[in-house]
Amino acid sequence: MKSRKNNSKKGKTSSFSKLSIFQPNKYKFKKSCPLSVKNAPKVDYKNIKLLKRYVSENGKILPSRITNVSQKKQRELSLSIKRARNLALI
Amino acid sequence: MNLYEHTIIARQDISPSQIKSLKEKYSKLIEENKGNLVQTQEWGLLNLSYLIKKNKKGNYIHFKIKGNGDLIKELEKNERIDKNLLRFVTIRVKKFDLKENYFGKDEIEEIKKEKKNR
Repeated sequence: MKSRKNNSKKGKTSSFSKLSIFQPNKYKFKKSCPLSVKNAPKVDYKNIKLLKRYVSENGKILPSRITNVSQKKQRELSLSIKRARNLALI
Repeated sequence: MNLYEHTIIARQDISPSQIKSLKEKYSKLIEENKGNLVQTQEWGLLNLSYLIKKNKKGNYIHFKIKGNGDLIKELEKNERIDKNLLRFVTIRVKKFDLKENYFGKDEIEEIKKEKKNR
């Protein structure tokens, strides 16, 4: 019995130490999408304040891997940012 | 019947009375073409983020229209000729958000403040 317990513990610790930089780190924090939460602001081309947060200083749309926006919301965002650009708001 | 949001940008050196006449002209056009004007908003003189026909600023007028596609055709045909306008954008929406006005007086001041802070 004792030996088994030891074994299981060893396995856990070893797998943790094996984690390299290139593997996706599951133990690290994983943020959720800021636009899919309850009471989240609506994505709209008129809401410049919100859109400006997802645009770089040069006016480029930021990738979702940086902003943690979900796929669905990212599509909405990119469409509304392009609309705002047409209106010279951004 | 569809719901449309229609925004036009007028030139910067236009007088307030001219803006009014523009607004009346197009709201009349909408009603003549069997459209239903649900709401109009005047966003006022805003800074453009890039030059359009050598204008740095523009007068924004926003319409919320209920009508058919033919109405939009007719509207845009007239707006293309209009020399006082810089640009127009029509967007079909599924639902109107009548309460929210992102370009009220308070909001514009907030935007200006943010720019100063940067």
